Amino acid sequence: MSNQASIRRLPQARRPALLGGYEWATLGLVGFAFAVPVLTRNPQILSQTNLILIAATAALGVYIMLRMDLMSFAVPAFMAIGGYTVAVLSLKLGVTDVILLGVAAFVMPALCAVPLGWLILRLKGVYFVLVTFVLTEIVQLLLFEATPLTGGSNGLVGMPAVTLFGIELMDNSQVLLTTAGLAFAGFTITALFTRYFRYEFTAIEKNDVLAESLGLACWRYKALAFSVAAGVSGLAGFALVNMLLTAHPTSFAPMSSVSYITYTIVGGKGAILGTLAGAALLVTATDLFALKGELSPGLFGLLIIVVTLVARGGVIGLAAKAAGRLRRASPAAPARVAPIAAVPARGVKS
Amino acid sequence: MSASLAASAGALRADSISKAFGGLKVFHDVSFTLPPAGLLGVIGPNGAGKTTMINIMSGRLPLSSGQVLLGDTRIDGRPVYANADQGLVRSFQQTATFAGSSVEDNLIAALRFAKRDRSVLERLAPLLDRFGLIECWGRHAEVLPYGLQKMLGLTMALATQPKMLLLDEPAAGLEKSERANIDAYVGFAQREFGCGILLVEHDMDLIRRLCPQVIVLDGGRLIAAGPPGEVLSRKDVIDAYLGGADEEDADAQHS
Repeated sequence: MSNQASIRRLPQARRPALLGGYEWATLGLVGFAFAVPVLTRNPQILSQTNLILIAATAALGVYIMLRMDLMSFAVPAFMAIGGYTVAVLSLKLGVTDVILLGVAAFVMPALCAVPLGWLILRLKGVYFVLVTFVLTEIVQLLLFEATPLTGGSNGLVGMPAVTLFGIELMDNSQVLLTTAGLAFAGFTITALFTRYFRYEFTAIEKNDVLAESLGLACWRYKALAFSVAAGVSGLAGFALVNMLLTAHPTSFAPMSSVSYITYTIVGGKGAILGTLAGAALLVTATDLFALKGELSPGLFGLLIIVVTLVARGGVIGLAAKAAGRLRRASPAAPARVAPIAAVPARGVKS
Repeated sequence: MSASLAASAGALRADSISKAFGGLKVFHDVSFTLPPAGLLGVIGPNGAGKTTMINIMSGRLPLSSGQVLLGDTRIDGRPVYANADQGLVRSFQQTATFAGSSVEDNLIAALRFAKRDRSVLERLAPLLDRFGLIECWGRHAEVLPYGLQKMLGLTMALATQPKMLLLDEPAAGLEKSERANIDAYVGFAQREFGCGILLVEHDMDLIRRLCPQVIVLDGGRLIAAGPPGEVLSRKDVIDAYLGGADEEDADAQHS
């Protein structure tokens, strides 16, 4: 082999697009939500779509941290910071412009996450999980205790309707438009962020010791991701406060973090589409089976166990596997793609 | 060669370094110098502190006393990635790749983290071809045979274009026929990239073939230093080590 006269050339460099198929499909679906108020006035569908979009946007915070194999229970904490920031801005300072409020709902939690990330990102595995959970409990406590700012157990009510270029967004369908806009922003930021740094996140997930030895300052990317995840959660908090017309501690209950984790894992943590699919499926299921209230965290926990045991790729992983099997079974498929297509959720890693 | 270059800039110098985990002394008062573009072999029986030494020199573990210098800069206790930025990169005894990513993406990750561009890959092409990695370009790293995974990990370390490479038993786990790849790798790294190499190894034949100078660690002390022919015939080195090496070779042949 070594004494061959000519050396085999490297294959041509691939220039993969920044966003893959999963990202485009997800952004398309989220973008479709803008059309829902035009297509129907059915309040049930409007409110259901609203809930799904908020749940999916919140679950993006989990998705981003799972890129690096970090399980975060901190989503409700940052949702609360985003939601209360908006409520305080509009009540105390009279800010109603939805774009200004959206920026504030992203930036405030993201900034809070910087010192917190510095503190807790040196923790690994279960310790990280534990501390993010405790963080959510602390924020919950602060919301109840810091009465002058947060209204304590009464919460903050009576916010004026948000405005876009001076137009009030008040009724059901316009609230959905606001949520759709916030969800679209959250999904776009997450898609661009996770794809732009895909090499870094994959390396940290698979082998952070090797990544460091090649020169990657892992903690910087973890801290950046923690901050961006907090910002995206803040957008979801804004959407939730805007839908409920109130900022109340119970909207950001620590146990709700279990739901957001369930959406991402059941949907499939390998691709951003999984987070949307998981939220859509489970929010619908919760509604269909009237599982609202105390029962759903327990059932969601059971669902996580089943999915991790039976189908680790989640719904999207199963779908990708089935698609790969179909492609191999069909005679038209070129044989060379088969071995790669068989690996679930490859689109994210490459 | 090492004597004349020892004082020159860019050398990697261990200055009476010691390491203890609690009461357990892993090594004690060890000093040596690896000149720029030089090659120094490190041998010693299992548990002599060789891997710990690489962990310390790369920055993964703090020292108990002494210092490690790269050129004039003290580098012990600094983060691993900061030392990699300075051109000090280590390889791992076990296979170390990013599972779930293709051979190409593994190499691109190495280039990206070290802020190098793709032209480095073109320069590495002869090596990649020799190891058979080009045939596996699109395959996932974790499905490659053990030997190929090991060569991929080594090539990733080289793709960062280091000034100093710390190789932790590169031949461990390779079949006899694959070990010539390590010769090719070390030669290529020195010739094409001008790397200095610290080679920790159990394979005595490999050490004899490649290294002009070796140091011997035993029980955490540096017991001998010099050309391998001379050092390996010393009675204390044979007593401390070569019995172990024979068993190691026998094991390798059985596997």
